[in-house]
Amino acid sequence: MKSMMKILLRYVLSAAGVALILLVINFIVLVTWTIQNSNIVPTDYAISDLAKGLRKSEVGYTLSEEANETIKKHFQWAMLLDQEGNVIWEENLPPDLPLKYSLSDVASFTRWYLNDYPVYVWKHPEGLFVLGKDKGSTWKYDMEIPQKLMDNILALLPAILILNGALAVVLALLLGLRLFRALKPLAKGIEDMAEKRPVEFPTHGLLGDLAASINKTSQELIQQEAALNKRDNARTAWVAGVSHDIRTPLSIMMGYASQLEEDPDLPQSKREKAAIIRRQSERIKTLVNDLNLASKLEYSMQPLRLTSVAVAPLLRDVIVDFLNSGLSDSYTIQLNINEKAQNTYVLGDEELLRRAVANLISNSIKHNPKGCTITVQLEKTLNNSILTVSDNGKGFPPDILKNLNNPLDSSETQSSGQQSGEHKSSTHQSGEHKSNAHQSGEHQSSEHQSSEHQSHGLGLTIVRQIIKSHGGITEFQNLPEGGCKVLLQMPVHS
Amino acid sequence: MNMVIAMKDIYDCSLLIVDDEPELRRMVEDILRREGFRKIISAPTCQEARELFATEKPDGIILDVTLPDGDGFSLMREFRAVSAVPVLFLSARDEDEDRLLGLGLGADDYITKPFLPRELLLRLRAVLTRTYFPVVQKQTPKPVFHLGKIQVDFNSGMVTKENTQFPLTAKEFTLLEKLYENRGNIVTGDSLCRAAWGDDLYGYENTLMVHIRRLREKIEPIPSEPQYLLTVRGLGYKLVGVEEK
Repeated sequence: MKSMMKILLRYVLSAAGVALILLVINFIVLVTWTIQNSNIVPTDYAISDLAKGLRKSEVGYTLSEEANETIKKHFQWAMLLDQEGNVIWEENLPPDLPLKYSLSDVASFTRWYLNDYPVYVWKHPEGLFVLGKDKGSTWKYDMEIPQKLMDNILALLPAILILNGALAVVLALLLGLRLFRALKPLAKGIEDMAEKRPVEFPTHGLLGDLAASINKTSQELIQQEAALNKRDNARTAWVAGVSHDIRTPLSIMMGYASQLEEDPDLPQSKREKAAIIRRQSERIKTLVNDLNLASKLEYSMQPLRLTSVAVAPLLRDVIVDFLNSGLSDSYTIQLNINEKAQNTYVLGDEELLRRAVANLISNSIKHNPKGCTITVQLEKTLNNSILTVSDNGKGFPPDILKNLNNPLDSSETQSSGQQSGEHKSSTHQSGEHKSNAHQSGEHQSSEHQSSEHQSHGLGLTIVRQIIKSHGGITEFQNLPEGGCKVLLQMPVHS
Repeated sequence: MNMVIAMKDIYDCSLLIVDDEPELRRMVEDILRREGFRKIISAPTCQEARELFATEKPDGIILDVTLPDGDGFSLMREFRAVSAVPVLFLSARDEDEDRLLGLGLGADDYITKPFLPRELLLRLRAVLTRTYFPVVQKQTPKPVFHLGKIQVDFNSGMVTKENTQFPLTAKEFTLLEKLYENRGNIVTGDSLCRAAWGDDLYGYENTLMVHIRRLREKIEPIPSEPQYLLTVRGLGYKLVGVEEK
């Protein structure tokens, strides 16, 4: 609506401007034209000079050479009246004109026409000098302007212009308002469209065509949106469905494997194999859960249970969980909480935030099997809580880093998330084999290496998605001195 | 009531398993039989479950949510309308909403598939014991333990150190109890403050420190060089070297 007001204002001002400019131009043109075309106020002769050119001589009246030429050039005829009204000299006088004029005749033709001939008069020592032109050659009007007006004309002219301008503004405003009223619903419709609300205008009237196109565009947008939503829903539902369907067979696998693992009648080696099956099943379970969560977060279908979460206690809790669960001594977890940040609160889903931090720590642990120092740091700025998790390990592989920081569009991220999920399971399988020293083939170590890149994927993708769903920003970096750093920034909640 | 009296232990409970997947039913049945449960019946559909419920009157039900001819939630509501039989959901639906819905309807527990047999058994035992063998509220003796030569008795709230007895204040008692429950593990300052003052650490740092110092004066041989109540910098405290009596 703001832009509409601007348009209206600009329209009114420019309309007024146009009116004023036209007025001024017209005025100038009129004046110039009048001056150029006028014979009434000639520049090369004056009636008085012509009158003076008529001299009385012994043989009557003679016209000077100069005056004669001018009269021939500009006028049709001429005559001289004496004080009694008699024609005492004439030149080319039309025959339909009388040779004597009364006082009232003179008064009349001086002001208007003589038998439709436009005439000009001037005082002559012998009487009245009269010049006549062709009938219909000149329009004559006697003008009267109040003295006061003529005195103030210079002052009044700007006033008149301003008045005209104001009038133009008012007129433009009235017309503009009409246009404004016609455009207003359309403008609102475009705004609605931007916010993905359906738009439906009547298509008659001045802007009917425009309204029809907007209706059509709106419909198309809504259809596209619906199609996209449908596809996203279908994808999420599909992932949820698959993960649901995996659960029952996985239960059976885990159940029996667990039974075999605990069966005292079985030899130790068999029970260990059962234990591997059980552990791998649990990994699949974690993966399926992660995949499901990632898919829901990607399409904003994960419900967030928002509360005011105290960040510092959450960090202490997550780290203590790691320490209490028997973390190897080769890992050190440091927690630095800025004094100002001790009472940082964010509006968030505590379970998901906990998961984000835990994913980052376990990522550092998982990818630095020889141990590392993990530093968790919390700072607080005016509006943001800034949480960093860094380690002094080997850092992210460059292509993973690129993917994490520039998830292309949502669909691509999703498919890469799925891929890394699949690869991850194979990674761990081979990793598990290795650690249990049951089998170690070359193909496995190569497989391990190639999928090593991928296995960063899902856990960190989930971190990014969780922070994004909380209106925050995630930055993944490799440190110049080695190791990696992940920065999570979220708005604080007072 | 008659049945309750007739029961010697929870293994006398008759259990009904409702799940449409035959392999899963067989496995759960197997798990339960190995554990010692004797009366186990199972049904693949709501309809059969209703019939068995009416004729056999089971003492506990393990119920799937997604069933071919209905859903477990409605089925539980039907059962609950006529009996307070304990119901434990075993579902492939892991949505929080489903779990909350199930528990909200009055289910005794909700386990998501896939699960470990041990988890199922522990939870089932807990539910059955709670229902049929409620613990008689009697004064169970509180723990008494040693930290080296120092003895802590939670019954009297007394610490005995070199034949001298020091009483624990209420807050010291709460803090030490919390640390003892998690002995060997780090307890965050926040958990300690929540136990003692019902709030996070923020604003209680100094108070907590003062109480820990006083506690150390009572339970440490050399309070300035703690051996048992250790500080884990930036995180919390840890009670180590506990010897049960």
